Amino acid sequence: MASNASRREFLLMCAVASGAPLASLDPRPAGAADVPKKGGTLRVGFYIEAATMDPHLSGSKIDRQVYHNIYEPLVTLDVKLGIKPGLAESWQQPDAKTLIFKLRRGVKFHDGTDFNAEAARFNFNRMKTEPKSVRKGEVASIDSVDVVDAYTIKLNLKRPDAALLATLTDRAGMMVSPKVVQERGAELERNAKGAGTGPFEFVEWVKDDHLLIKRNESYWSKQGGPYLDRVRYRPIPDDTVKLQSLQTGEIDVMDYVQPRDVAAVKADRNVVVVDVPSLADFAYQLNHTRTPFNTKALRQAVAYALDLEQIVKGVWLNVGVPANGPIPPTSWAYDRSIAPIRRDLARSKAKLGEGGQPNGFSFTLTTNNIPINVQEAEVIQAQLREASISMKIKLVDSATLLSDGNTRNFEMISYQWSGRPDPDGNTYQFYRTTPGSSLNWSGISNPQIDALLDRTREVSNQAERKKLFSDLTKILQEELPMVFIVHPIEPKAFSPKVRGYEPIPDGMMRFRDVWLQ
Amino acid sequence: MGRLVLRRLGATVPVLILVTAGVFALLHLTPGDPIDVMMAESVDATVKENLRRELGLDRPLYVQYAAWMGRLLRGDLGRSIRNGEPVIESVSRRLRPSLELALLAMTVSLVIAVPVGLLCAVRRNTPIDRAGATFAVFGICMPNFLLALLLIFFFGVTLRWLPVSGYTDPLAEGWNGLRSLVLPAVTLGLALAAVVTRTLRSSVLEALTEDYVRTARAKGLSEWRVIRAHVLKNALIPVVTVLGLQLGTLIGGAVITEYVFALPGVGRLVVDAVFARDYPLVQGVVLLIAVGFILSNLVVDVLYGWIDPRIRSR
Repeated sequence: MASNASRREFLLMCAVASGAPLASLDPRPAGAADVPKKGGTLRVGFYIEAATMDPHLSGSKIDRQVYHNIYEPLVTLDVKLGIKPGLAESWQQPDAKTLIFKLRRGVKFHDGTDFNAEAARFNFNRMKTEPKSVRKGEVASIDSVDVVDAYTIKLNLKRPDAALLATLTDRAGMMVSPKVVQERGAELERNAKGAGTGPFEFVEWVKDDHLLIKRNESYWSKQGGPYLDRVRYRPIPDDTVKLQSLQTGEIDVMDYVQPRDVAAVKADRNVVVVDVPSLADFAYQLNHTRTPFNTKALRQAVAYALDLEQIVKGVWLNVGVPANGPIPPTSWAYDRSIAPIRRDLARSKAKLGEGGQPNGFSFTLTTNNIPINVQEAEVIQAQLREASISMKIKLVDSATLLSDGNTRNFEMISYQWSGRPDPDGNTYQFYRTTPGSSLNWSGISNPQIDALLDRTREVSNQAERKKLFSDLTKILQEELPMVFIVHPIEPKAFSPKVRGYEPIPDGMMRFRDVWLQ
Repeated sequence: MGRLVLRRLGATVPVLILVTAGVFALLHLTPGDPIDVMMAESVDATVKENLRRELGLDRPLYVQYAAWMGRLLRGDLGRSIRNGEPVIESVSRRLRPSLELALLAMTVSLVIAVPVGLLCAVRRNTPIDRAGATFAVFGICMPNFLLALLLIFFFGVTLRWLPVSGYTDPLAEGWNGLRSLVLPAVTLGLALAAVVTRTLRSSVLEALTEDYVRTARAKGLSEWRVIRAHVLKNALIPVVTVLGLQLGTLIGGAVITEYVFALPGVGRLVVDAVFARDYPLVQGVVLLIAVGFILSNLVVDVLYGWIDPRIRSR
């Protein structure tokens, strides 16, 4: 069947992506030309501009693309989403509420100051107390940080948090020079000079024009890169123009190829496309706190009326896979035995009757006014019409979408989550009962789900956690705080002279070992 | 002349107050706020509330507007909520590419429109005139983004004569800078040329029927001399009006062209600021765009006086 085939292909791709690192993107056999060499400027095209250079204040995905080259987290991800040492050489967990990190010695921030236990504690405290910190939620389980010795820190947790280690592979684990924060704190948002420890140093950022970083000549790791002299990021908002810039050699890398362009780009011999499977979860939240979706049967009627295969094929052009829940196939917690909800119009009709609307009902979908979202909304509208459900489409900009979501001013609303390496990041904050506003826009409050989610944080055994997430996925398919649509693939495109890129499924482009032929 | 300038400047104050108050009200009536955008991933509602209070976003709108006005009178446009940068710095950096683009687009339009417009008028109702009309209709109807993409495809991708996107400052790197602005300037200039061609054609036709033209011809002046010395100057008034009004649009309203060519201009700055609900930044840019419009209109008025002494003496 088409969907099985496409899922198989996707999993195969994940396997390829998570296998041997693509030391060469080029199919030619390895030879003398494949020895990495130093030098050159890598020119990267992005669809939008970074928002801030301060990882503790960052709330947008694009920022992380730059951060992963300037800053380093305590621990990092490998291509299989396993956790490996970063600024921390090793770690241990003597009990469920304690996490001890041995920090790497001889690491200096770009401003010349030492990275050590005091610096790490400073960073955690900043994330917890700075008023504009967007990291507060991620480090909420940390009660306090003790400096054990100059290169050892101890995190004392308020409660067990099995997902914390994975959370520290990204911005919440990134270490910023305390000196830079103290001396130029407010300016750090637009000038990260001296602030990181990473393989590249911040040089300059001319807003909406370019952001330049250069090789860190005194990088602590003497193995591998950094090889590139400089990396120059440019925002090119128009997808067609960005692609043409790559094809004409004005840029060497582009962060994302639109599904509509993938087939054409793959046919172009001057461009190498790497399908990077993502952690993302694209879905629609259903508002449980008001009609019509406070009635479970009506939520189910919508879910059974949707044909995910058709959406993934027609709208996403198979650059993604139908979702069975919030956890993507790249995750160790993904349960392939759970099928995505299948279209079943008879069942949908029965659920309409059960929900007291045998002749159908109508509701409004709120979604972003961007082409692929609009197309998806129109397909869904047509599919629901066949099930006697009439859906109006309300197109908004993202600020309005966030505001409508936070105030629960919606019936069904688009939610596109970029995903987190631990399944906790795709689940807990969306489905756990939370007073006030949070990312749980649906307003779901279910004791069974709450208990499961709490348990996933307490248990550290991965097999046991996987079982819990499978149970959760099954309940979510029944309770439907969201209708899950697609786990997209995020294809990136390169000039053939770019070598050494490792496609890690968090989609971040780490250029430490990248070089130009 | 001095009095005219002063009177016009005095009249700008109420305009500016109206514009900024209107934008302020509209912006705050739009759903969404900067904190929601900045903290899209954060979960704690109290964190957001604290930040709103700290930035003064919880105060009544008229208080916020008065505070903004107060700072403005002290010459302070405030700081961007999103990244803390002073608004004046963001805007002044963006103004240069926008001005360069606007001037270049205007040059492109004049280079095309003056000869075509004149020719159409002088060769009225001939195939030349009809070709000119066709060009004008094409220029007016052609959507900006489509023309931009076609130009990029032809000159950037196929012929590879010009860069596909991006901005290089012509004042820093003359040749490369000009090359980076050619396609966007043609995109904007072509539409403007179409309008100017039609305006110039009709005003030249009108001038050609005037008595002084008959007199000039009767004196035995060559047709070229008649047009250059007598017709053109008199026919320029409506053209100057059109150009003056368009200059403001070119500086602040070239959003689509700036997006397609990835130029760091004022139009893109204000649209991004609106999406981020970065109130001080939007206010600052809108204020400056309004000032730009007023100044360009003022320049037009002064030019009228220079072109037509009757206006000066009135």
